[in-house]
Amino acid sequence: MIKKVFLFIKSKLFIFVMAGVFIGLLFSLGMYEGLHRTSNDKFCIVCHEMAPMVASYHSNVHGGAGKSGIKVACVTCHLPHDNVLNYIYTKAKNGVVEGAIHFFGNPDAIDWHKNRQRRDEFVVDEGCISCHTNYTTNPNISEKGIKMHKHYVSLQDTDKQIGCASCHVEIGHKGLRSMLNYYKPEYEFYDGKFDSKKEAVEKQLLETLK
Amino acid sequence: MCNKKTLYLVGVFLFFNAMYLIGSEVSKTPPAQEVAVSAELQEKFPLKNHHAKLSLKCADCHEGQGDEPENFQMIGDEGCLSCHKSKQYLADRLKFMDVLHVNPHNSIHDGQRLYCDECHFEHQKSENMCLNCHSNDVKIWMKDTP
Amino acid sequence: MKQETVSRRDALKLGALGLAGAMMAATNAMAAAPKETEVKFDEEYDVIVIGSGFAGLAAASKAAERGLKVLILEKMGRVGGNSVINGGAFAVPNNRDQQQFGIKDSADLFIKDALKAGLGINHVEMLEVIGKRAQETFDFAVKCGAKFQTGKKPTWFGGHSVARTIVTENMSGSAIIQPMAAFVEKLPGCKLMTRTKFDDFVMSADGESVVGVAARENYRFNKKLLSDDMENTGGTKKFFKARKGVILASGGFSMDKVYRKLQDPRIAEDQDATNHDGATAGAMLKAFQIGALPVHIDWIQQGPWASPDERGFGVAPLLTQQGLFVLGVAVDVRNGKRFMNEMADRKTRADAEYVILREDPKANPVAIGTEKTFAPQIAHAVEKGLQTGVMKKFDTLDALAANYKIPAAALKETIKVYNETAMAGKEDEFKKQTLKNLKEAPIDMKGPFYAIRLQPKPHHTMGGVKINTKAQVISGNTGKPIPGLFAAGEVTGGTHGASRLGSCAIADCLVFGMVAGENV
Repeated sequence: MIKKVFLFIKSKLFIFVMAGVFIGLLFSLGMYEGLHRTSNDKFCIVCHEMAPMVASYHSNVHGGAGKSGIKVACVTCHLPHDNVLNYIYTKAKNGVVEGAIHFFGNPDAIDWHKNRQRRDEFVVDEGCISCHTNYTTNPNISEKGIKMHKHYVSLQDTDKQIGCASCHVEIGHKGLRSMLNYYKPEYEFYDGKFDSKKEAVEKQLLETLK
Repeated sequence: MCNKKTLYLVGVFLFFNAMYLIGSEVSKTPPAQEVAVSAELQEKFPLKNHHAKLSLKCADCHEGQGDEPENFQMIGDEGCLSCHKSKQYLADRLKFMDVLHVNPHNSIHDGQRLYCDECHFEHQKSENMCLNCHSNDVKIWMKDTP
Repeated sequence: MKQETVSRRDALKLGALGLAGAMMAATNAMAAAPKETEVKFDEEYDVIVIGSGFAGLAAASKAAERGLKVLILEKMGRVGGNSVINGGAFAVPNNRDQQQFGIKDSADLFIKDALKAGLGINHVEMLEVIGKRAQETFDFAVKCGAKFQTGKKPTWFGGHSVARTIVTENMSGSAIIQPMAAFVEKLPGCKLMTRTKFDDFVMSADGESVVGVAARENYRFNKKLLSDDMENTGGTKKFFKARKGVILASGGFSMDKVYRKLQDPRIAEDQDATNHDGATAGAMLKAFQIGALPVHIDWIQQGPWASPDERGFGVAPLLTQQGLFVLGVAVDVRNGKRFMNEMADRKTRADAEYVILREDPKANPVAIGTEKTFAPQIAHAVEKGLQTGVMKKFDTLDALAANYKIPAAALKETIKVYNETAMAGKEDEFKKQTLKNLKEAPIDMKGPFYAIRLQPKPHHTMGGVKINTKAQVISGNTGKPIPGLFAAGEVTGGTHGASRLGSCAIADCLVFGMVAGENV
C-alpha cells in the first residue's frame, strides 16, 4: 500500500496535478490581491472623475464616518457580484472606459447632476443586501421603512422594478448633491461662488487619501 | 462507476438549484392590499413623477384612512416625514444653497419652520412660496418646486 | 406680476360676494360676539395673543416671562406675518450706539420727526412711550434671543433727523421673530398654534369684558378668494378661555382686497402690496364689533417706489430710493414729462402716480437715471435688478423711449430742461431738494440709461383700534378700556398719524407689544 502511494507520488500525473494546484493558488492569490487593491477609493479615484463622490463618501457611515469606522469598498455597491467573471469583466470595462475619458477624453463634459437622477443604475442592490440581509424584518427599521422595503420586494422582476438608491437618494455619499455643486454648480447664478468650499473639500480629500 | 458519480453530482447540483429557486420564491411577499382607484380618480389626483416612478399606492401615504379615496385627508408634515426623515435632513441635503442664503428648507426668513405643503403639493402643481416676494429672482436660485 | 384692471368676471365675483356678505352679515349681526354662557371652552390659558408678528411675540414673550400661560394664535402656516419678511430695521431713539459714535438724539427729536412725517395728526402720548422705552425694549428683544448688528454706527433712514436705526444681523425681521417664537414655546404651558384662525371674541355674561376667543384649528388661508375672512369656512371650531386677557396683534390690512378699497378706491382688488397675503382686516373688524374705537382707518401708506414688474416689496424700492429718484427723473409715459418731485414724501409721490394711473391704469410712470445716481452700497441690487428684469438698461434715450412708448423728442426736451435748470443753480418746478450744488449734469447724456416702471403699493395701514399708553383698547361705548382686551402693532391706529417713518414699525410693535405683555 505504502509503496503504491510512493509510486503514485513519483508518477508524472501527480507532479502535473500538484503543479496545476500550485499555479492555480498563485494565480488566485494574485487575482485576489489585484482585485482587492484595485477596489477602494484610493485606487478608483486615480482614473474615475469622482472627487466629490469620494469626499461625500468619506462623510457617510459607509465611508468610515460611523462610530465603528467600518468602510465599505466602492465595488461592494457599484459592481455586480452575481458571478466572478461578470464582476471582472465589468470592472475591466469600467476601468478602460473611465481611464480613456480621464486621459484622452473630456471629463468636464460628464453631467453629474443628470447622472444623479439615474442613481439607481449606478448601484447594484445585491451589494447593499449582502450586508443589510434582514431589511424586511429588522425591528430597528421604522414601520414605514419595513412597509416600503416590502413594496420594493414586490416590484422585483417586474417592469416597475426599483433600486435601493431610488429612495435612498444620497446613500453612501452624505451631502452628494452639495459636493457636486461645489465642483459644478447646477445654476449659473452659483458660478464661482463655491470656490472656497471646493478648496476646503480638496484639502480634506488629500489629507484623507494620504 | 464513472456514470454513477456523474449522476450523483448532477443530482446534488439540481437539488441546490431547486433550493435556490424555492428560496427566492419564499422571500417574495404578496403585494399590499390595494385601494380600488378608478381612472377618473387617477386623473383627478395624479401623482408627482418622482412618486409615480416608485409605483406608490394611495394607502402608502394615506395610511389608516380607510379604502374610500373620497374620504382621504391631507397627511401633514408627519406623513411626508415618515419617508423623508426630518426637516433637518432635508435642509442638509441642500446645504450648498446655504452659502448664498437661498436654501428653501433652511430659509433666512423661516428656518425649518414651514409646513411641507406650504409649497409642495402632491396632486396639483407645487407652488414655490418664495415667489410671493421674490417673483423675479427665484428662477435664478432654484428650479421648479418638485 | 402683471397688473390688470378689474375684469368683468371679477366685478361679477365682487357683486356675488357683496350679496353673500350681506346674507352672512345678517346672521352674524344677530349672533354678535358669543358670551361665555353660550360656549364650552376647550382649553384654558392666562393670555391669548392673536398674531405672531413683532407685536404679538413681544406681548407673548413678556407675558410668558412673567410666568403666565400664553397661547398664540396664527392663522397662516408661516410664523411672523409681515414681520418675518420685513427688513429688520428698528429705530431706537437715543440708543447706546448713537452715544458711542457721538450722535446726539433725544425722545423729543424723535417725536418731532414722527410728527413732521405724520402731518401732525399723530397721537403724541403714544410716541412718548416709544421714545422713552425703545432702548429698554431693544434689550428685552435681545434677551429673548433677537440678533442685531450693534457696536457700529446706526443707519440713517429717510425723514429721521439723525442716524438712529439699528438693523438685525441678517437684515430681516426673522432675526427677531424666530428666536422670540422659540423663547415663548420653550416656556412651560405656552403654545404657538399656526393655521388657527381667530373668529370672535368671547364676552363675559354681562357682555362688558373679553374672556376668551373662538377660533378654527386646521384652517388654511386661501389667497385665491376675494375675501378669505368672509368666504373661507375651513377648519374646526374651538373655544379658548383667557383668564387674564386677550391681546390683539393681528397686523394691518394692506392685502385686504375689499376693505382697503373701501378706504381708498384707487387700490384695485388685484393690486399687489408689499405685504404678505394674510394681511387682512378681519380681526380688527371683530374688535370694532365689540366697541373698539377706530382711528385713521383710511390713511393707507403706499410705497411710491415699487415696481409692477415684480411681486411684493422686491428690489425696486432700493433702486429707486437710493438710485434713480435721487438724481434722475420720473416721467409720464404718455407725454414724456415729469409729474412730481421724485424726492417728496411717500404720500405726495403715491398721489401723483395715482393721478396718471386713474386716467390710464396701464400707463405706469417710468423712473430714469444713469449709473452715477446709484449709491455705491447698492451695487449688488443694481446687478440683481438688471438680472431679474425689474430694471432695464438702454444705450440711448431713443431706445429707452421706444421700449416704454414715450414720445422721444418730448423725453429729451424734459431731460435737457432738467439738466440745464440744475446746472444753472435754479430751483426746478417741483422744488427737488437733491439738485443743489451739483458739479455736473444730474443725468449724464452719454448714457447708458437705467429705467424702472413705477406702481404705488400699499405698505402700512396707519389706522386701527385706539389704545391708551397701557395698550388697553378703548371702547367707543364707554370711553374707557374694554376689560380684558389689549392691542399692539399695526392693528392699532393714531401713533404714526398720516404717514409712518421708515424703521418705526418695529419700534412701535415691539414697544407696545411689550407694554401689553406687562399690563395684561
